[in-house]
Amino acid sequence: MMKSDFIRKPLALPSDDWVQAPLAFLGGPSIIPEDVRKTNFPIITKEDVIQMLISIQQDGEQVVDEFKETYRNYVGANYAIATASGTSSLHLALVGAGVQPGDEVIVPAFTFIATAQAVVAAKAIPIFVDIDPITYCLDPLKAEQAITNKTKAIMPVHVHGLPADLPALRHLTDKYSLRLVEDASHAHSASIHQQLAGSIGDSAGQSLMADKNFPVGGEGGIAFFKEKEDYERALAFLDSSGIDYRMSWIAAAFGLSQLSRLPYYDAIRARNAAYLTNALSETKLFSGPFVPDGYKHSYNMYRVKLSPERLGLEDLEDYLIKDAVQQLINSEGVFAREWQNVPIPGHLPFKNRKGFGNGYPFTLSDRQDFGYDLNHFPETLKMLRNSLTICRELRTPIEYERIQAYALAFKKIDANPHIIRELVERGSDLKVLYERDARLG
Amino acid sequence: MGETLTKPEAVIQKENYFSLSFVLSRVLNSGVIMSIEKNDLELKGLEKGIAKLTNKKYVSLFNSYTGAIHGALWGQDLGYHTSARLDHPSEQEKKFIHWLGITLISDQHIKQAYVTVEVNWDNLQQLDQIIFKVSDRAPVLVLDFTGLGFGPVAAIAANDENIWKKAERLKIFGAFDLQTMWTQEESEPDLQPALQFNYRLSPLVAACVKLTLLRRNQS
Repeated sequence: MMKSDFIRKPLALPSDDWVQAPLAFLGGPSIIPEDVRKTNFPIITKEDVIQMLISIQQDGEQVVDEFKETYRNYVGANYAIATASGTSSLHLALVGAGVQPGDEVIVPAFTFIATAQAVVAAKAIPIFVDIDPITYCLDPLKAEQAITNKTKAIMPVHVHGLPADLPALRHLTDKYSLRLVEDASHAHSASIHQQLAGSIGDSAGQSLMADKNFPVGGEGGIAFFKEKEDYERALAFLDSSGIDYRMSWIAAAFGLSQLSRLPYYDAIRARNAAYLTNALSETKLFSGPFVPDGYKHSYNMYRVKLSPERLGLEDLEDYLIKDAVQQLINSEGVFAREWQNVPIPGHLPFKNRKGFGNGYPFTLSDRQDFGYDLNHFPETLKMLRNSLTICRELRTPIEYERIQAYALAFKKIDANPHIIRELVERGSDLKVLYERDARLG
Repeated sequence: MGETLTKPEAVIQKENYFSLSFVLSRVLNSGVIMSIEKNDLELKGLEKGIAKLTNKKYVSLFNSYTGAIHGALWGQDLGYHTSARLDHPSEQEKKFIHWLGITLISDQHIKQAYVTVEVNWDNLQQLDQIIFKVSDRAPVLVLDFTGLGFGPVAAIAANDENIWKKAERLKIFGAFDLQTMWTQEESEPDLQPALQFNYRLSPLVAACVKLTLLRRNQS
């Protein structure tokens, strides 16, 4: 039987009265009833199917090349290599930028594990640096403090889709003769003063997997290079290492047709994010992401910050409040959650530093203390304790009435501080999130 | 890209266009397989198909032949500063294994680390016999499906559960990462991840390989 993505039931038109109804957690009506919660992304249309039928009859390598060139042009990068995954694209971006075994690469403590694993794949040492408390991206001031004579590159992450402060980081890389490598995995179509993420650094890696704003068929990635020399160094590495990082033509074919709809999806995501941010500004407890002037956020994820003191809840543990809010908002039908619960230096691969086996490449470092203790990242810990993330639910170009409903759900929670207090005080043996086992995504 | 990379000799044959068009359209419209979900049916289905084909208990999928080699070696604790025996490694294998920091040796007392079967349209009909012949020559069987033309794709098959577990641990979003993602509890605290690559196979590609294997004896 054909499985359809077609939405079978329309959402009810939202009404401000919903905010006054009892919380769904306590048995009241959910803002978004269970049978209309599902969102679909990527959206698959006849163009995708037809492109696939055409590509089947072409040489696979040509399909990948066509995809690579079309997307490279869109991003405005000089050179590109299509890859099997975002991790492999980051690995190539680092190697292309000249990262050698034993070099240090500065990365943010808050990211997906692939950022740091790509550094280890390049046989280099990831040096984690705390984030800026406002943008949640790598803090340039702390990055400067982490530079040693072994540092080769700084690899900021445009986390959730907000470009990192590349002008400040470029200043640093110029000052200390380092390379600037972007992890643009969250930042499709994001930009700084109209220059697209992926084309600003010396090189960049970007994931195109299913959970991204621009997904190809399942798994994929792309590496970008500014200089021909770096691009050629990456190609030479592929040859000398024997690694097969090629993208499947099936993924490329799917990417070709999806790319033509990317600007439309971007516009809807931006519209929805702006609506939600504005609505959250009318609440006391919640606020949306900060976007600096001239920066374009791509909203691969949307992080909601909680300010309990504005609701008179400052005497309670922030992470318990966050947990209570998560339960309440989930019952209303908005799947806000933790995305990452432990800073990456606290994940097992970096606690143990086994690397390729026998501790390599960490054994190339003279460092006794790798600086991976979680206490070195207070801003990341604070952010993890007091914020929640909306992922797929906003990545999808959702209907106007759905984004209105999301906003009402937050307003409904905001109107019930006493219930949040009750939930927290009811007692919980919940460990602070970064003391639990680390999970990916 | 580098000339040493495995490259299929022929594009997909015309008589298979219809089957592939059908399966790809079908899979594209199923939605579910496009995301990192525990109900990733196409990947699980292919793993089961390969287990049946190879008569091995455990199968792990990879998005390239070199990824599968890495899994086969890592699964046997063969990493940096160790050595392994291989009979007739290709130039590409030599380069890759060297890059992993593993020394190739030819000591005949040591069992070879893995044995490879390259699957393509020419040997598809004889696959069962080919696998049967080589299956016991090494602890891990590596199946390279890249020659079918869907893009880089390979699998490892073994009877030792630990080989499978370690190989999965090598993969970002391998079986154990996915478990932790949902339960937030380490299910294998004694077997901790080290370096990880994203060797995850696209479900779309998996669907094509699965269909090919299912239909291999029909023509």
